[in-house]
Amino acid sequence: MVELERRGVPTVLFTAQTFVHDAQRSAASFGLAGLPLAVVPLPFTNQKPEAVHRMAEGAFDQVVAGLTQTVDVRPGAQPPRLEDRFAYDGDDLLDAWTLMRADFLRRGWSDGFPLVPPTPRAVEALLRGTTRSPGDIVATLEPGFGIATIEKLAINAVMAGCGPEHLPLLLTAVRCLAEPKMYIRNKAMSTGPHAPLVLVNGPKGRVADVNAGMCALGPGAPSASNTVLGRALRLVMMNVGHTYVGVSDMETIGSPLKYACCCAENEAESPWEPYHVTRGFAKDASTVTVHFVYGICELHDFRSTAPEDLVGVFATAATNVAQVGTGLWLIGRRADPRTKTEEREHNTLFICPEHAQIFARAGWGRREIQEALYRAARLPFKTMMLNKEPKALAVAHPELAWLADHPDLPLPVVEDPGCFDIAVVGAAAGRGAYFYGAGEPVTLPVED
Amino acid sequence: MARLEVLNPVAKTVEHSVKPAARLTTLQGVTLGLYWNMKAGGDAALDRTEALLHEKFPQVKFRRYIGSVGWLMRHCTAEDADRIASEVDAVVGTTAD
Repeated sequence: MVELERRGVPTVLFTAQTFVHDAQRSAASFGLAGLPLAVVPLPFTNQKPEAVHRMAEGAFDQVVAGLTQTVDVRPGAQPPRLEDRFAYDGDDLLDAWTLMRADFLRRGWSDGFPLVPPTPRAVEALLRGTTRSPGDIVATLEPGFGIATIEKLAINAVMAGCGPEHLPLLLTAVRCLAEPKMYIRNKAMSTGPHAPLVLVNGPKGRVADVNAGMCALGPGAPSASNTVLGRALRLVMMNVGHTYVGVSDMETIGSPLKYACCCAENEAESPWEPYHVTRGFAKDASTVTVHFVYGICELHDFRSTAPEDLVGVFATAATNVAQVGTGLWLIGRRADPRTKTEEREHNTLFICPEHAQIFARAGWGRREIQEALYRAARLPFKTMMLNKEPKALAVAHPELAWLADHPDLPLPVVEDPGCFDIAVVGAAAGRGAYFYGAGEPVTLPVED
Repeated sequence: MARLEVLNPVAKTVEHSVKPAARLTTLQGVTLGLYWNMKAGGDAALDRTEALLHEKFPQVKFRRYIGSVGWLMRHCTAEDADRIASEVDAVVGTTAD
């Protein structure tokens, strides 16, 4: 709508009451605070047409007014500039820290857990983890177009509990978020539980003590680095990208994965080349991959000893049509309209070392698993379309209109076998993890 | 007494500024775009809005739009926005939430 206003076209946008703040902030971040809205009581989704009609009738006067009455551009709507540092006085430092935590919570700057105080000394110490200057800009992070300087990233890293050894990995993860192909705006602002899954490969992950083995996704002491790195990325999304709950992060339920979801690949126990090599990097390179995921399903199998049987079990996880990405290719591709980058919907599998050995002993590599899973993970067309807009299918794939006459035809849940990303993670026992992905992963080399 | 001094974690932002379009003096006789991002229910809202507008402003013409890229939600590219701007006088949009 802002782009149309820019072109001289007056607009008005239907918006549910719950999303008014979100719509206003979003419009303001694109440069037009006060974009006219026609506010309705509820989202139109999951409503019968007659209920939607009643809401449209109730907002009709707002529609007319939005197109004909002068727009209040609200020059004062932007939040005031804040000072660079804050001081908290207490009876002792613990008391002062309690005041700081309460104030940061009130301002919305916390993930809810206690924050490590980002004192100038602590931030200075953390900055020793990079050769870059504090004022260097790593990226501009949407949805708020926050300027991600090295110093701001370090401040949030301190708050998360990071040390200097974690900083290069965090900077790389932030660069992943800012890649056009990531389309972070969509994932940060959605009503869905998009969580950044961070996968570290290479020697710098080992230097930073990122756990790849037992309980790699935490919690616990062996995964302390994983926890603080994942947490730091979330705090950066909030305080640098301005992804704040109820303001721009409109998630319906939330997800524990959004607090921290980070580990390394267990390269030592993998029978295959490291994951980042499949992404085009040298084996001895260090990389960070970020893949936004909706949720996680266990890949439990203590019985199977043949690859085909394991794939059969994995396919049951992949055919969960309640998960938004399953069969989403039928109605198009995730795409940023500004850059026209398109994403296929990927899913990430963490295969445990024992299962990986079963595949490897039979001569299977990643490609064989991907292709077998692509063949096994299929659903009838009518099942796949249960929660999808039929008109979207007609727009995205008019050449598939014939499917309407074949409702029981099994279709693959993803666009092609490469949409299953596979890494070896974890310790003993036959339990992996299937992450329902949101778009494609982004992998970048770690830079100091 | 003890004082704890900490640094501000919040990043400054890149500011954008767009001047709102001049509003219409009347809807009578104009061509209105009805933009739907294909999220469920939004089309029904535009159907009813079109009917109501037609009742009140019988001379209004309508054109329907969806974005040319996307999936669950279809978005307008710059080319889409140029085309819409060249074809209509104003736009009513719905993103369904």
